Amino acid sequence: MRFVIVSLFVAASAAAVSAQQADAPPLGALAPANLSKSRPAPPFDITGTWLNDLRFAGSWRFGPPPPTVKLKPEAQKHFDAARQAQAEGKVYRDDIGQCWPAGLPMIMTRVWPIAMVQKPTVIYMVSGFMNSFRTIFIDGRPHSDPDVVVKSFNGESIGRWEKDTLVVDTKYFVGHHHWIDSGVPASDELHIVERIKPVNNGATLEIEYTLTDPKGWEGEMKFTKRWNRVDDQDIQEVQCLPDLNQHIPSTQSKDNVR
Amino acid sequence: MTSRILSALVILLIAVASASAHHAAAGIDRTKTVELKGTIKAFSWQNPHSWMEVEVASEGKVVTWTVEMTAPSYLVRAGWKSSTVKPGDEVTVTVRPLKNGDPGGLFVSVKLADGRTLTERPVLAQPAAPPAQ
Repeated sequence: MRFVIVSLFVAASAAAVSAQQADAPPLGALAPANLSKSRPAPPFDITGTWLNDLRFAGSWRFGPPPPTVKLKPEAQKHFDAARQAQAEGKVYRDDIGQCWPAGLPMIMTRVWPIAMVQKPTVIYMVSGFMNSFRTIFIDGRPHSDPDVVVKSFNGESIGRWEKDTLVVDTKYFVGHHHWIDSGVPASDELHIVERIKPVNNGATLEIEYTLTDPKGWEGEMKFTKRWNRVDDQDIQEVQCLPDLNQHIPSTQSKDNVR
Repeated sequence: MTSRILSALVILLIAVASASAHHAAAGIDRTKTVELKGTIKAFSWQNPHSWMEVEVASEGKVVTWTVEMTAPSYLVRAGWKSSTVKPGDEVTVTVRPLKNGDPGGLFVSVKLADGRTLTERPVLAQPAAPPAQ
């Protein structure tokens, strides 16, 4: 009898522990138990400070849309309005100038450098432009439940290693005040895949971008961008402030088309 | 010589890119420069853009021009400090003006009272080109 009771108690305890484990939230990227998990060594480490390669005209832009892409009617309206504004010497929907976040992909190609810190489970990026913060999880987790995730301007990025390349899948974007390029809006269905690898003996970072957005256009937009290490620079604190914008002639101009 | 041309190109492209980085710059007339001979009213050493206000006497009135500059991290590499200009300094500032005629523009250079001329762009070495799209 005593044996039966002890057995039942042990079984009940094991079940409780098992249930607790099943309900336990996943480990955070910086949890020691996550960081210390056994994983294959990554093919490279992008820790460093990087600056978009500015030698090339348009290197900071994700546009204009390639001819293979067909904008949806609503996006086409924005695109046409932006071209008309430009022809008139005006600025169209310059939300970044009004302190809205640049968001992915544009945040990657601002003139200010980006600090990247790679750990076994995660890559953190902090832009010198508005200190925009981006996280790429590389610990094997899937994308979040769409009913739970908080959409953002940089989206949710999940990375995986494919041979010598880091492939990053990003979705769950804010779909307003968010632009791919002047006059090309991003919707909440924007999906970006980045194929990241070092070139030039590690001095240069190359990223191939594939952008799709079923609400915005038909087809894929593809771009290849490069960043160079800037070992003599650090990221400083920066905010978009009302009193700053008062002294930026372009953001205050009456020629802004809202 | 090739490297000098490349360096000059880099400076030019960074200058063009800068105005597109924080905000669109279609309102700036890039075909013109305007020389502002006047007095510094204010200078802010600030991220992501520094800026200055220059009071310019014109036809019996004083007009305050607002001049947008780049970030201090770039200005330092071009020889600037936060104390390089201060209110009351007599300067000549060259800007690319707003198209609509308002008194504002993008900074190009400044001639200081001590005779020095400063721009805002350092030379950055940039290696290889990306593959063709």
